Amino acid sequence: MAENKEEQLKAIRKKLKELLVSHLSLEDVVPEKIKDDEILFGEGLGLDSLDAVEIVVLLQRNFGLEVKDMSQGRKIFYSVDTLANYIYDNQKK
Amino acid sequence: MYIAGIGIIFNRGRGLASLEKALTEGWVNPNSAYRVPPEALTDKAVLKEARRADNFTKMAVLAAHDALADSGIPEEEKQKLGIILSTGFGPHVTTFSFLDDILTYGDAGVSPTLFSHSVHNAAASYIALNLKTRGPTLTMTQFADSFQQAIILAQAWLEEKRCAYVLVGSVDQCGKVMEYICSQKLKVAVDGKIKPFNFSKNPESVPAEGSAFFLVTNEAKYNKYCAISGRPFPGDKEEAELLILDSDGMCGDERPYGSAVENNVPLTAYAPVFGSLPGLSAFSTAAGALMLKNGKIYASPVQENPHGLNILTARQTLTVHKINCLRYNCYLEELVIRLRRGAR
Repeated sequence: MAENKEEQLKAIRKKLKELLVSHLSLEDVVPEKIKDDEILFGEGLGLDSLDAVEIVVLLQRNFGLEVKDMSQGRKIFYSVDTLANYIYDNQKK
Repeated sequence: MYIAGIGIIFNRGRGLASLEKALTEGWVNPNSAYRVPPEALTDKAVLKEARRADNFTKMAVLAAHDALADSGIPEEEKQKLGIILSTGFGPHVTTFSFLDDILTYGDAGVSPTLFSHSVHNAAASYIALNLKTRGPTLTMTQFADSFQQAIILAQAWLEEKRCAYVLVGSVDQCGKVMEYICSQKLKVAVDGKIKPFNFSKNPESVPAEGSAFFLVTNEAKYNKYCAISGRPFPGDKEEAELLILDSDGMCGDERPYGSAVENNVPLTAYAPVFGSLPGLSAFSTAAGALMLKNGKIYASPVQENPHGLNILTARQTLTVHKINCLRYNCYLEELVIRLRRGAR
């Protein structure tokens, strides 16, 4: 079961990285080079508040998930890892 | 007013060297449309704050940046700079993407960034951001007259001393939807060749994209190319020594061009180099200004001459000082941009 979860999380992380690069027009960023625990905003990948809004749209379009509470979003959007865990937990419900 | 700098991006590349090369080489078959090559839009230094921008904006930013750089206007003078962007269709590729997303994902699932870039003035705002200017910034849209109207406004701003310099230019993009619309509404040249001297009631066109910008000023010391004399109002006639016809098949009936060239004035037309687009007059103006500066006249790229006109057939040393760029809009109104070597 745990193995299965890790495989699914790995697939979500891979898809997320590809979506972030294409959807946010991240020039010179290769999806595979984004670390799972890399901070997305500010230092790290350098995303900004406009990107946060785009990630909300990205989650809705590709995973059917809505993030309405932005204080919750702060934790969810911390890294690819936290985003993937949020998607895994909420898609299961 | 005087042209102090020019920036251009079109199907044959970016910059004045590309323009000169294209005018020298003449017509090259564009296939279905005259598109800006993707590699011409990858200047990371200029576009560093335009990550989210679409190609419409990127073309405009690059051409405006190059026009300012070409002018040599001192950095501190940039605060006296206004921006006027003219366009026939605006960022329609982004607008259609936005509409497609509404249909696909519903109104809650569309990208806010896409929406903010679908408005006409986004590109002009990007230019102001890129150049860090704080002067008046405006977008002008009047289909085939857009560039002429922008010129009139630039003249007014300079005369009112609202600005000391104006970046005035044109940008249009050719997306798949536009190509389809052209194929349905216009007669597209199956051989990819615009025939500007046919003066047909139902002329052929080939859709195009690109951007041309000019740094204009009333300061004679910055005159690097030529002056733009008078207003391009319909009916304001002044003889020229060379006429550039903007007969590109975009505005329908081109028979009025025939009556405008009765007095054997030498003719040329560069639509076969730039393609058919609402702002063609901006590109012709760039060609005319370059010719006046360099003292060379470039042969008409297509020389099919069914009416036996006085068409330029070879590259010549320039002996003219007055070039008129002539456009008839969709209402068959005559619009003339008068380029004059030396003083206004």
